[in-house]
Amino acid sequence: MSFLKIDDLSINLGEFHLNGISFSLEQSDYLTIIGPTGAGKTILLESIIGFWKPDSGRIFLEKIDITEELPEKRRIGIVYQDYALLPHFTIFKNIAYGLKKIDNINIKEKVHEISVSLGIDHLLHRKPATLSGGEQQRAALARALVVKPKLLLMDEPLSALDQKTRKETRLLLKSVLSGRQTTVIHITHDMSDVWSLANKVAVFNEGSMLQFGTIEQVFNRPNSTFIADFVGASIFEGRVVVYNDGVSTVKVNGFNLFSLDEAKPGTNVKVAIRPEDIVVTKTPPGEISAQNVLDMRLKEIVSEGTTCFLKLTSGDIDLNVLVANNALHRLHLNCGDRLYALIKSANVRIV
Amino acid sequence: MIRIDLFRISFICISLFITMILVFAIVSLFLVPDIEDVWHNLLSEEMLFSLKLSIITGLVSTILVMLFSLPIGYTLSRFDFFGKGFVKTIIDLPVAFPELVLGLCLLLLFGNTGFGKALQAAGLDFVFTKKGIVIAQFFTALPYASRIMKSTFDYIDPRLEFVSRSLGYSMFETFCHISLPLARNGILASTVISFARCIGTFGTVLILAGGSYMRTEILPITLYLNISYGNMGMALTSGIVLMVVSFIAIYIFEKAEVGL
Repeated sequence: MSFLKIDDLSINLGEFHLNGISFSLEQSDYLTIIGPTGAGKTILLESIIGFWKPDSGRIFLEKIDITEELPEKRRIGIVYQDYALLPHFTIFKNIAYGLKKIDNINIKEKVHEISVSLGIDHLLHRKPATLSGGEQQRAALARALVVKPKLLLMDEPLSALDQKTRKETRLLLKSVLSGRQTTVIHITHDMSDVWSLANKVAVFNEGSMLQFGTIEQVFNRPNSTFIADFVGASIFEGRVVVYNDGVSTVKVNGFNLFSLDEAKPGTNVKVAIRPEDIVVTKTPPGEISAQNVLDMRLKEIVSEGTTCFLKLTSGDIDLNVLVANNALHRLHLNCGDRLYALIKSANVRIV
Repeated sequence: MIRIDLFRISFICISLFITMILVFAIVSLFLVPDIEDVWHNLLSEEMLFSLKLSIITGLVSTILVMLFSLPIGYTLSRFDFFGKGFVKTIIDLPVAFPELVLGLCLLLLFGNTGFGKALQAAGLDFVFTKKGIVIAQFFTALPYASRIMKSTFDYIDPRLEFVSRSLGYSMFETFCHISLPLARNGILASTVISFARCIGTFGTVLILAGGSYMRTEILPITLYLNISYGNMGMALTSGIVLMVVSFIAIYIFEKAEVGL
């Protein structure tokens, strides 16, 4: 059995609910949960830790059923977006709080050790209210990690931080967790957290888990339009015309898309394409290795800082293409331009 | 041209008008009697008895009120259970009740009912006794204290308690280490308001414990009895003592600065 197994978990808290959530994690897995606000992500974390009793379903940690176990017995740590530091304690007391429950331990030494690794050893005498957001978040992390939890749950731990601090804290988090073998479940709205920290992703919406898998599975092969939208991919419905010589041909709204994924001819499938896997050119390409060449028109340019999204359209097909800003300037692109989208067959995924 | 903010000015004027009326009413209490007379009355046997009994019953009632309002306030703030709305309404009810009606209800409960008789058989006779004063004060002050404690616990982020539990602390330990210390200001405010409410309880005490001279006589009863006899000096003195206690209570309450 897996390190953590969530088996058909359902809970109804009125405004928020979870419907039949099931997934498993191995030790050291780092799962990020993404999904819109109100999707039930926080309720899942608070059910795993034991603050809410599920209406049905079981939770197994290290093969032991902990569904009915008291939160204080589970050895699961939690870090919240707004830190939840105990305001009447100093940072030292906050970090030492959980250690007092562990026998035969040198509290001072442990607090010093973790606070040095998180760069907050100079703040131990201060009260939480006198610290910056980044410092408070590191203190909250220290408090959760110092007791060596079996499982660490984080509810948008970086979202209240400014961009620079978020980036620094993310790197720090990665370095602190490496070598600890801590299994982590991390709720986030920031795809950078997913790409840089996680090895697994779950997508939630309206109390249900829509997809669970590795980053490659969820980002490259989203199983619904909702997830494709959420993770930034384009998804189309089509019919497999032929599978020949290791290439499937899928008919999508009059276009033929070629994919290296195997599919049975005659079946209806969904095809996903990631925006960074598409190359655009203004002139018709000659003989090239990419099998998919789509003749499209530039509908919109959406700036994203150093990159931008090109929204291409042709008939019923809309494609999102991610390009660097300098490419935009180099190609002198304007809305209405005719563009050719080039996609390798390996990047057309049948889901 | 100076723009006159009529809305702002009229609202401030209403507030000032009511404040001035109250100030005049309070000041008149201190201006009417002769200071020597007040001092003489303050040291009279009746006043000393009344003051002592008020403070003792007030303290005992306040301790009891706090012992009960803490779990009640926490329960109403944190737990969902069948009948929660009913519990909240009933506990709050005495706030809306006339004190005399509350006293009558308590008199009937502790008087001739089986429950009352059982208590009397166990030596707990609350009707027309000093113990009755405590009961009357307790039920009068409890809703106020429970409301303050509920608001105080509502104000404390439950996730602080969640974190404490995730770090190995039981619900009771979390209550002692986290909830109570963070509710410190609310507890202080609730205690002060309860004491002031207990000291000032009149109607409920009059009906349940009776207004017996030098027996169940607390400060509001002293005021009432002496007004009845036409002894204005004693009545005013007990009024001044009650007013001073209220002033101190409100001052401490304001200083507590809870987010209520």
